[in-house]
Amino acid sequence: MSRDTAQRDEEIHRLLRQALGRRRFITRTALAAGGLALGGRFLAGCGGREGGPDGIGGGGKARGPVRISNWPLYIDSETVPDFEKATGIDVEYTEDINDNGEFFAKIDEPLKRNQSIDRDIIILTDWMIGRLISLGYAAPLDNASFPNKANLLDNLSDVGFDPARKYSVPWMSGMAALGYNPKKTGRRLTSVNDIFDPKFKGQVTMLTEMRDTLGLVLLGMGKDPAKATLSDAKAACARIKKARESGQIRKFTGNDYAEDLAAGNIAAAFAWSGDVQGLLADNPGLQWVAPAEGAMLYSDNMLVPKTSDRQDLAMSWMNYVYDPAHSAQIIAGAPYLSPVKGSGAELAKIAPDLASSPLVNPPDDLRARLHVFRALSDAEDMEFNRVFQDAIGA
Amino acid sequence: MAGTAAGGTRQSRAAPYLLIAPGVLWLTVFYVVPIVSLAQTSVEVAGGPWWDGYQRALTGYGTHFFRSLRYAFAATILALVLGYPLAYVIAFRAGRLKTLLLGLVILPFFTTFLVRTFAWKTILNDGGPAVRLLQQLHLLAPDGRLLDTTIAVIGGLTYNFLPFMVLPIYVSLEKIDRRLVEAAQDLYSTPRGAFQKIVLPLSLPGVFAGSLLTFIPAAGDFINAELLGSPNQQMIGTVIQNQFLEVRDYPLAAALSFVMMFLITLGVLAYARLLGTEELA
Repeated sequence: MSRDTAQRDEEIHRLLRQALGRRRFITRTALAAGGLALGGRFLAGCGGREGGPDGIGGGGKARGPVRISNWPLYIDSETVPDFEKATGIDVEYTEDINDNGEFFAKIDEPLKRNQSIDRDIIILTDWMIGRLISLGYAAPLDNASFPNKANLLDNLSDVGFDPARKYSVPWMSGMAALGYNPKKTGRRLTSVNDIFDPKFKGQVTMLTEMRDTLGLVLLGMGKDPAKATLSDAKAACARIKKARESGQIRKFTGNDYAEDLAAGNIAAAFAWSGDVQGLLADNPGLQWVAPAEGAMLYSDNMLVPKTSDRQDLAMSWMNYVYDPAHSAQIIAGAPYLSPVKGSGAELAKIAPDLASSPLVNPPDDLRARLHVFRALSDAEDMEFNRVFQDAIGA
Repeated sequence: MAGTAAGGTRQSRAAPYLLIAPGVLWLTVFYVVPIVSLAQTSVEVAGGPWWDGYQRALTGYGTHFFRSLRYAFAATILALVLGYPLAYVIAFRAGRLKTLLLGLVILPFFTTFLVRTFAWKTILNDGGPAVRLLQQLHLLAPDGRLLDTTIAVIGGLTYNFLPFMVLPIYVSLEKIDRRLVEAAQDLYSTPRGAFQKIVLPLSLPGVFAGSLLTFIPAAGDFINAELLGSPNQQMIGTVIQNQFLEVRDYPLAAALSFVMMFLITLGVLAYARLLGTEELA
């Protein structure tokens, strides 16, 4: 593989990331179905690898590939081949997670019946991981063969849905807050509530991801998303519904907002940090701010399904990506927040520009303003969602 | 059949059943079973009367049902208005270009539905050519937009289902014996009269089939509303999808599906009666 090709593939990867980002399920499905033909390397790096190298330098213990499901464009193109070379374990890396709910619908039935889902690691958002753990679908992590687990950031190492991280570790984190196009707003935005400014009528969007949108609106109302009650949620949803019905909110989106923001169709949006980081290359004017009231923090976490018969291989993968240098390499290809201690310093070595971005390496005062939505029980989740879906008109 | 010998009838009586067996089996497994299970889901209400899902479907989602039917109706009419002349030209006037034109009608199917709809987002963009043209013609206010409006959703539906309207109409026009038209003209009918008395009535089965093929999927569609509409244009398909995948209120989602099926069946029956085609008689 020549250097040029590798460079071109990186470029395609970057463009795609910019166009897609993480959570746009419909569009991505469309592109997958449409068989978007791209340079071979990129797809070979991201898709399932057939035949891979047979145990070069890894002692040849490779027993079946380790099968990983992740969101599209959530990894760089080097980590998978590097891991295969370093460990001799083949990887079948599939980008088939487009939506938490949709993926859950796929795996719920087989896991309920204790059948294999042909995956050894799946990567889902906090609340969904919580649901899987409470349903007993997760295999406990084998800490003995995962020494790098110690590199997990302290603030992520003990979470409500998975005390002491017995079943899951974060793959990556991201922030949801306010993205805006200063040319359209004509001013700096500093508050979550700026999104309700009547001047921007029909020019703002919010996210369909309930916890992010609801969390931000709650912050704007002076409520703590970590303690949100149903009546808080109802109040926030009433506010959202009113804005939707008046035409203030143009749309509720996955990350479709990204190109609308870049194209100037919208002035401001509830936006994910990684998307805006991706857009900055071609749209240097765009702004992403964590408002005074705060921003939402979410993580997507790796979990081993209880029916996996290759849990040892899964642990090798987790241990590998929890090495700070390896984690930095992933961040260089997918600009979100690494959950691994020391990855910032490693990133500075390979991508100094990126490492200095607050979107990848948030300063302490920003970190202090990040909130995580309260863990909801299954029944609460349904109640909250019912109110929320009604508010967004779906 | 009645008069044939006993030995022969046995086999020929069984033959039709054997021929339809694969189809019946297919429908049983992939249509009847899912429908029955969906019906069960719709009445399996935890902690409430069995009709709870239906009650909520009927009381809470009238806007969405009505909107879906309205959009599908508008798209069907538009597709008919655009599609009939097109089919007519292809069938009667295209000459050697016929195959090419038919090919062009089918061409969009070579890309997926989603990609095609997504392309519309680019076309209708606020800064895009369509908006600029309409603004220059003063058909659209300077701060107006196309994307995320009712027009965009109905336009997208019309575009996506247009071939389903054109093809059946084309087939029924193509089947018409040209000598009938010639005979009408020989009898001093005007071209318009010949069209009204001969061509149009004979093409009605095509119009009927085309309208159904457009209306039914359009009413259940959610992609166009989701990609091209704002939250105030969401159709019942989006609601059902969200109730199934996000809220996981399965009884409500199943009940919504059944109410929609019921409404569409009702509409189709009324339409069949109105148009009185032999196909459904």
